[in-house]
Amino acid sequence: MSAAAEVYVPKLGALTALTGTPTHYCAGCEHGTLTRLIAKAIDELEIRERTVMVSSVGCSVLAHEYLNVDAVQAPHGRAPAVMAGIKRVRPDLLTFAVQGDGDAASIGLLELLYAANRGEPITVFLVNNAIYGMTGGQMAPTTPIGMVTTTSPSGRDATSTGPPIDATRLVAGFERPAYVKRVFLPIAPTPIPRVYNARGALEGAASVRHAFEVQERGGFAFVEFVSTCSVNWKLGILDAKRYAADVLRPLFPPGVYRDRFGVEGR
Amino acid sequence: MKREMIVAGHGGQGVLELANWLAYFHFLEGRHVAYTPSYGPETRGGKVKCYVVASDEPIDSPIVEEPDLLVAMNIPSMDFVPLLRPGGTLLVNSSLVSDGPPRTDLRVERVPAAEIAAGLTRFLPEGARDASIAANSVMLGALFGVTGEDPDRARTAVDGLFRHFLTDRKAAYVPLNVHAVDAGLALLGRRPVPA
Amino acid sequence: MTDDRAFLKGNEALAYGALRTGLNAYFAYPITPSSEIPETLAAEFDRRSYPAFRTFLQAASELEAISMVIGAAATGAKAMTATSGPGFSLKQEGLSYAAGMELPMLIVDVNRAGPGLGNLGPEQSDYFQATRGGGHGGYPTIVLAPASVPEMAAFPALGFDLAFEYRTPVTVLADAFLGQLKEDLVLPDVAAPVYAPEWAATGARGATRHVLSSLHLELADQSRHSHHLREKRDRIAAREPRAEEFETDDAEVVFVAYGICARLARRAIRLLRARSVRAGLFRPITLAPFPADRLRRLVAAGRSKLLVVELNAGQMVDDVRLAAAGGADVRSVGEMGGLLPGSGDLVRAAEAMLR
Repeated sequence: MSAAAEVYVPKLGALTALTGTPTHYCAGCEHGTLTRLIAKAIDELEIRERTVMVSSVGCSVLAHEYLNVDAVQAPHGRAPAVMAGIKRVRPDLLTFAVQGDGDAASIGLLELLYAANRGEPITVFLVNNAIYGMTGGQMAPTTPIGMVTTTSPSGRDATSTGPPIDATRLVAGFERPAYVKRVFLPIAPTPIPRVYNARGALEGAASVRHAFEVQERGGFAFVEFVSTCSVNWKLGILDAKRYAADVLRPLFPPGVYRDRFGVEGR
Repeated sequence: MKREMIVAGHGGQGVLELANWLAYFHFLEGRHVAYTPSYGPETRGGKVKCYVVASDEPIDSPIVEEPDLLVAMNIPSMDFVPLLRPGGTLLVNSSLVSDGPPRTDLRVERVPAAEIAAGLTRFLPEGARDASIAANSVMLGALFGVTGEDPDRARTAVDGLFRHFLTDRKAAYVPLNVHAVDAGLALLGRRPVPA
Repeated sequence: MTDDRAFLKGNEALAYGALRTGLNAYFAYPITPSSEIPETLAAEFDRRSYPAFRTFLQAASELEAISMVIGAAATGAKAMTATSGPGFSLKQEGLSYAAGMELPMLIVDVNRAGPGLGNLGPEQSDYFQATRGGGHGGYPTIVLAPASVPEMAAFPALGFDLAFEYRTPVTVLADAFLGQLKEDLVLPDVAAPVYAPEWAATGARGATRHVLSSLHLELADQSRHSHHLREKRDRIAAREPRAEEFETDDAEVVFVAYGICARLARRAIRLLRARSVRAGLFRPITLAPFPADRLRRLVAAGRSKLLVVELNAGQMVDDVRLAAAGGADVRSVGEMGGLLPGSGDLVRAAEAMLR
C-alpha cells in the first residue's frame, strides 16, 4: 500500500463485516474506500447475518473476498435482477451490489432501470470512475467527451457514441425509487496546496447506511459514487483526484436526488 | 370405442371452441381425449383445423390422418374430404358450402348451421343481435346426433360443458348455445350411426 | 374419476405440475408457444391457492428473468422460468452462470421452428443447444423430454429432484405441439418436498459464509472446479439416463424417437405390425444424459436397424450413432418448419431399411 493511500483511507478499526483479506484494488482507488464504508454500515446496523451481497462484474467482482457476508455472483449487468430474485422469495434478507459504470449503465442498464421502476427493496452502489477499469481502460458509458481511452483513442466523440450516461438522473426519473443520491467520493483538493478534504468518505459513510435503512423500510436505494481510476486515466493519484474534481464533479453533480423516507434529514 | 375427428373452418366461426367442447364432452364421458388446435396467426379469417381423438384406450398419436368424421364449416375445409376413411361421416355447414363431396362412400349430412342459429334470436342476451354466432353449437348438437350420443345424456353434459367454458361475460350466452345444441340434435338426433 | 382428473394443454399441465411440486418462484418473459405457462401461474398466484408459491413476476427480458431465477435459487428456493427457442438462446447466459455456481433450477423450452424467429410450429431443433449446454464454458446438463400432457405435468417434480440432488439447472425440452396439445390427465399429487440446502446464501451464520460464485481467477482453482463439474457430469451420466422401450423384443427395426415423435412412431409401429413388419420403439426420456448404455445393449441384443425420427435436420441421430458405435445401421427421418412427418413417411422409411 502506498504512502498516499495510507493517508486517505480512514482508519475505522477492525470490522466483523471485513474478512481481512487485502484487496486487489489499485492504490488511490475509491473501491477500497467503499468496501470499508459498506463493512462499517453492516456492522453498525448489525445486519451481517441476514445480508446477501450480489457480486457484479467489473473491479468489484471480488468484493465477496473482502466483505464477510454471504454472496451470489450475477451475470454481467444483472445484479439488480439477481437481487430482485432474492428479495422476492426472502424479503427478510437484505441485499446489495457494488456495480461499476459499465455493469450498471451499459450492459445492465435495463436491469437497473426496471428494478428502479418496480421499486425493488434492494440497494445498488454504483462506482462511476468513467472508464472500464478491470478490462484495462476502455470507454465507459460515463466517459466524458474528449477522454482518451483504449477504445476512444482520439477522445470520446459525442457524434459517434453520444454523450455520457447519467445513471442517477435516469434512476431518479422513475416514480418508485425511495433514495437516490450521488456522492463525490475522492478526496478533493482544497485552496490550500497539498491539503485535501475527505468529506466524500464521510458523506459516503452516511449514504451507505441510509441506503440500507431505506431497503429495510421497503424502498429502492441507489447511491452513485463518483470515483477515480488513476491507472487507466494514466494520471498520478493526486492528479486523478484533481481531474475528478474538475471534470467529473460538474458532469455528475453530487446531491440528494430522491429521499422519500426523509433519511437525510436525521 | 375410438373416434378420430377433424373440425375445420375459418377463424371467427368458433371452430376451436367447437373442437374443444367436443373433446371436453368425451373427457366428461370418461374417455381419453387428445385435442390439437392448429391455427394461423390471425384471430379471425385464418384457416383453422383441429384434431380431436377420443378413445377408451390410451391414444398413441394425437394426429388425425384418416378421420372417421369431418366437420367442414367452410369451403376450404372440403380439402380434407379425401382423408376420410371409407364409410366415414362428413358434416357440412350448408350455410356456406353448397357443393357435395366428390365421394360416394361417405355418409354426408348437411346442416344449415348459421340459419338454424339465426332463428334462435329470442335466446340472445339483452343488447346482443346476432344469434348466428351459435352456429358452432348447432354443429355440436348435429355431431352428437350423427355419433349416436344419447340425447338426454348429451344435453346434461352440454349444460356442464357450457358452465365450464362460458364464464364471466360469456355466461349470458349459455341459453342460446344450449338451445343451439338442442336444435342440432333435433335435426340429426334420430339418425345415428353406430360408433 | 377423481377430482384430479383434468383436461389441459401441455403448457397448463406443466404449470400445475410445477405448482404441485411446491414451486416457490416463477419469473416470466412471455413468448409463444410457451405463454400459457406464465399465464396459468399468474392466475394461480393471484388466487393464492398454493401457499408455497411466493412469487410470480414478469421480467423485462429473458435475461432479467433467468437472473431473477438465479437470485431466488441462490436462497434455496424452487425457482423456474419457461421460454421458447429465441428466448432459450438468451437464457443460456444465466444457465452458464447457474451451472458454474451449481444452482438448482428448472427451465422449460417449448421448442418452436427454425433459427431466428422461425415460426410457432413444433420442432426439436434445440436438441443440441439443450443437451450440449448452449452457454459458454462447458457444464453438465440434464434434459428431460416429455411425450404427453400427463408427462408435462409429471416432469417438473422429477426435474426439481434432479436439480437439487446434483445442484445444477434442469431443462424440460418440450415442443410447440406438446405445449398446445390438450389431453386428459390425472394431476400429480400435491407433494412439496422442502429442500433446505446448507449451501444456500441466506445470511452468514457466525463464521460460516455461503459464497456462490463462478469466478475462480487462480488457474488451479478453476481447474479444480472444472474437474468437479466434469465428475458431476459423469456421475449424472452413470446414474440418471432414462428411456422407455415399446415392442423392441422381436423388432427387426427400432424407431428411436422422443417427445411428440415417439407418439408418431407408436402409430407407425401399429401400422407396420399390421403389415407383418416387426417394428419397435426406443424412446429416450432423458436426452441428457443420453441413455447410451441401454441403447447399446439393445443393439448388442440384435436390434441392428435403428430409425431416428426427429423434428430437425438430424441432431439426436449423432448420439444414437455414438451409442451404436458402428454396430447398427442408423438412419434418420423427420420433418422441419413446424410440420410433422406422416405415418406413411415413417412406414416407408422403416420398410426401406429392411429391403
